[in-house]
Amino acid sequence: MQSIVDTLILEPIRGFLQELLNFLPRLLSSLVLVLCGLVAAWLLKTLCIWVIRSLTADSLAEKVGLGPALRKLGVKDPLSRLTGRIVYWLVLISFLIIALNALAVPTVEDLLSRFFLYLPNVIVAVLVLTLGYLVGNFLGRASLITLVNADVSIASFLGRFVRITVYIIATTMALELLGIGKDTVLVAFAIVFGGIVLALSIAFGIGGQKAAGDYIERKLREEREKDEITHI
Amino acid sequence: MGSADILIGIPSFNNADTIGHVVRAAQAGVTKYFPDAKAILVNSDGGSTDGTQEIVARTAIDDFNPLLIKRKQEMFSKIVTPYHGIPGKGSAFRTMFDIARRLGVKACAVVDSDLRSITPEWIDLLIRPVLELDFDFVTPHYLRHKYDGTITNSIIYPITRALYGRHIRQPIGGDFGFSGRLAEFYLSKDVWGTDVARFGIDIWMTTTAVANDFRISEAFLGAKIHAAKDPGADLSAMLTQVVSSVFMLMEEYSEQWKLVKETRPVPLFGFQFSVGLEPVNVNVERMIHMFGAGLRDLGHLWEKILAPETFRAVQGLAESEPYRFHDDTWVRVIYDYALAWHGKVMSQEHILGTLTPLYLGKVASLVIELESSNADEVERRLSELCYAYEKLKPYLAERWS
Repeated sequence: MQSIVDTLILEPIRGFLQELLNFLPRLLSSLVLVLCGLVAAWLLKTLCIWVIRSLTADSLAEKVGLGPALRKLGVKDPLSRLTGRIVYWLVLISFLIIALNALAVPTVEDLLSRFFLYLPNVIVAVLVLTLGYLVGNFLGRASLITLVNADVSIASFLGRFVRITVYIIATTMALELLGIGKDTVLVAFAIVFGGIVLALSIAFGIGGQKAAGDYIERKLREEREKDEITHI
Repeated sequence: MGSADILIGIPSFNNADTIGHVVRAAQAGVTKYFPDAKAILVNSDGGSTDGTQEIVARTAIDDFNPLLIKRKQEMFSKIVTPYHGIPGKGSAFRTMFDIARRLGVKACAVVDSDLRSITPEWIDLLIRPVLELDFDFVTPHYLRHKYDGTITNSIIYPITRALYGRHIRQPIGGDFGFSGRLAEFYLSKDVWGTDVARFGIDIWMTTTAVANDFRISEAFLGAKIHAAKDPGADLSAMLTQVVSSVFMLMEEYSEQWKLVKETRPVPLFGFQFSVGLEPVNVNVERMIHMFGAGLRDLGHLWEKILAPETFRAVQGLAESEPYRFHDDTWVRVIYDYALAWHGKVMSQEHILGTLTPLYLGKVASLVIELESSNADEVERRLSELCYAYEKLKPYLAERWS
């Protein structure tokens, strides 16, 4: 009876305790690493903010238009604080990863290696989306202004069209980078984009006859009644 | 040629049709009015392909008798040279400043190469105040149709006057006289890699002279007629270029213009007369339509650029009956644009791109108001606009920093 209890209950408990005893130092070292990470992250963040402020990079960022661009993206912090935050999280995440590795748990190690392989795609996708947002806004606004100044009556619609097209292209690229529905997204994009262009062509061709007629008539009238002002 | 007293500069780019007349007028002017001076004509060309340079090189007045000029100028020579650097009038001027400095020139005059109304007297009027009265910068004073030069009339003249305190009627006239000292000063400025080299050289020269306390006068040159251009040729680009130059200079000379509290005229030389000017067609309806389209499509951008009360006033214009773009509203618009440009509320090119419909709205209002006005009444009306700029200057200065 004693041997059965030993084999079925005590032996596994001893084994578990032994593994726990083996694991505890690794857990402790992981916790110490996390604590070190927190301290190092805070120190580096503070240092980073101090250096950037000393170099008056905040006002420089405002001057070159980086500040307004970031605010448009919903980032209200000045450059120094933003960089400080990024440094803080980078350092902390690095220490967390080291701490997780120090645990030497095979599943965690496997997850980490997969995460590291996927991480560059995530970073590039975020960059593509950010860039797409900024470029879309810029080109949309530039088109709108140019078209209004050229007296194109559907300037507002075309401006929006340019902006949304850039957004769609950027999103498609980002999704492709992330490997989400790779082929589906591309095919869907091609169909939707082609469809929009075709629909617009038909709409302009059929529905826009009057608008086109009005435009040509207006241009011809303007030609007849041309301004002779020399503005300069 | 080791030295010269007078330099006449003519920047050019494909002006074969008109430049011959300008060269002859310049030569006659120097011969008639400065026979004892050593003079040089410099044509700084931007790579013309229509034979402009060859025409300059071979154009000369051989017989001065029909011009009733007895004494021939023996010391008149020419340099025909392409300029280097960024393509533009500014780079052409830089070449002339450089030649002026090397030759130790006392007085320079620059004239446009597409002028049809230039006479030998222009050279006298642009050079003599420098040579004999010790002025450093002579700006042109033209007779122009009341609807001509609307960017100058509604923005450049009044804002230059309000900011720097001098009544310079044509700050971007294009035909100037200046001293060798000022040419050397211009050359010392590090702007030749910027947009000044490309465009905006005229307002840059004027503002640099006035902001640095050089002695300034005006010369009455009569009517300015130049080769026909398409008046509608990319108005937006033209407006953006000129206004961005003004705003850029406002940044550079912010300490100077903030101190200016009053304005005063500059001496005007030359016999003043009036001439009949060709009527000018204006399509007011189209301008008001463009303003309305701007309000509809660019309103959300104007809202970011203009102060709330200015934006509300602009919105109210659309319903005003009769249509009138009041001076105070217009001046606040321009000052708000300067502030938005300074504060970079969005891309500076986009900021100025949205100004065109507002500008057309103001021009339409002025055209309606001045429909039956004569030249004197037009000048009085423009003086009122200038006062509005001056009155509201504290609004700009307080918000600038």
